[in-house]
Amino acid sequence: MFAQAAVKPIGASIADRQLSADQVLVEGAGRTIRAGDLEELIGRGAAYVGKRIGLCLTDPFDCVSAILALDGHADTLLLLSPDLPARVAEQVMAKAGGDHILSDRDDLPGAEPWGDQRLDEVTERALARNTQWLLTTSGTTGMPKLVQHDHASIVRSVRTIAKAADARWAMLYDPSRFAGTQVIAQALLGGGTLLIPDHRLSTGETVDWLGERGCTHVSATPSLWRRILMAPSVKKLALRQVTLGGEIADAAILSALRGRFPEARITHIYASTEAGTGFAVRDGMAGFPADWLDQDVDGVRLAIRDGILWLRPAADTMTSAEHIERDAQGFIRTADRVTVDGERVMFLGREDMALNVGGTKVQVEAVEDVVHAHPAVAQCRISARPSAMMGNLLTLSVVPKEQAVDAAALKRDIASWCRDQLPAPARPATIRIVPEIAITAAGKQQRAVHG
Amino acid sequence: MNQISPGFYPEPQPVPMTRDQLRARIIALFEEMWREDRDDEPVTLENDTVLLETGFDSMAFAVLVARLDDELGFDPFTMTEDPVYPQTFAEFLDFYEKCSPKPQ
Repeated sequence: MFAQAAVKPIGASIADRQLSADQVLVEGAGRTIRAGDLEELIGRGAAYVGKRIGLCLTDPFDCVSAILALDGHADTLLLLSPDLPARVAEQVMAKAGGDHILSDRDDLPGAEPWGDQRLDEVTERALARNTQWLLTTSGTTGMPKLVQHDHASIVRSVRTIAKAADARWAMLYDPSRFAGTQVIAQALLGGGTLLIPDHRLSTGETVDWLGERGCTHVSATPSLWRRILMAPSVKKLALRQVTLGGEIADAAILSALRGRFPEARITHIYASTEAGTGFAVRDGMAGFPADWLDQDVDGVRLAIRDGILWLRPAADTMTSAEHIERDAQGFIRTADRVTVDGERVMFLGREDMALNVGGTKVQVEAVEDVVHAHPAVAQCRISARPSAMMGNLLTLSVVPKEQAVDAAALKRDIASWCRDQLPAPARPATIRIVPEIAITAAGKQQRAVHG
Repeated sequence: MNQISPGFYPEPQPVPMTRDQLRARIIALFEEMWREDRDDEPVTLENDTVLLETGFDSMAFAVLVARLDDELGFDPFTMTEDPVYPQTFAEFLDFYEKCSPKPQ
């Protein structure tokens, strides 16, 4: 049964349920998609049958509407984060061999708007095509990596979350992210309504908007949950499902959410763009049970090798990308460091030099490269400092070329240098001017990195 | 976390401060950070000011907390078992006052 459902496009699956025409599927700021709008919407997607389509839409409502229309028509959907610089977006499109890019940005050459497609231009009718989804890994620096998912791996997690026809899901992730696709699939294939707040609202205004619309299900990163808990209108939210993902869900945030939403089921999901959905933990405790290492968990197998979590995705989850490390048994190296602590496996953080700052992966070495290029800097080193709000922040230690420098002025100058060249999460929160930086036996700078 | 040899960069020693002194330090640092990023005048932090409505996002508040840690020698958010999510400036200040070192 699941195998059949897996090849059915999202839009067609909803249409099959024979909903009344006025049932709201998607509610945005002043706009809705009702069940009765689906046929026309899917018809517009037919303008791109068999094509490789890049989507780079800053408006998440448009992005969801385009995904609904194109899944099952397009050969490939390349989901591009609207934050990508134009040059990078073009390079990713070229690498993916995209035919068309649909965008509301004015800095992407050749971009077509989404929403102008006319039905009389459609020459080929809909086929239930197994659209391939190409997603980019998150990160603030360098070229994003592409990971290919088939339709089944996108919709697979819908099985693991109880369906609820009266669920009102908040869309707080960008729909171009893997986590965003999961919220779309769960809300719409689970039979509920997807609430898409205006992406220009502040966190407080977003929470207010969701509270007024009777939102019941929210999926967000631990960092975003901490922000939501700081919004006074959080008391308007009566949630039944609280989902965390994308970062380590520690005991503190789990207990704060339990206190604020006593009626809600709290689930933290382990998923990655590379592995797809891994598994869901529902006992409200950090980490996952150690006995899961010996058994099948939602079709997934887990193993720890040299302190790193390896994960074999469920049989129907097919992802591929050049950078994925996979063994002969199909286990994928996740690059997440873990440790067994009694009956629990706890996450320690990423093994590479990526630091998670408020849900964004920051490549430490790329930040150091930027600082090194400053004319007054001889040596520098980024380390992590724990932050209750962001998980981590960056601390920068700098050895100046001239020891007799005005430290305060140099700190200001380096801060401004970083502001001009780095996105906010990658900017050092604090800067220290120091006389030397410790070197390890291997000749590398010492660095303390907490996931 | 700090792997630089001790002596070169002494860790700040927490000093007892009154509520008014804490308030003044937090406001001064808030305004300093504001001016690094923007050209308009910083908002005035009143007791009932909602933190997320100041124009500072949660990233900026996290940076403020880190800089206060460097200056005051403590970060109340990493000192308590029970997570605290202050919504207003008064709650933020209460939390710093509660966790600040007390005069002997």
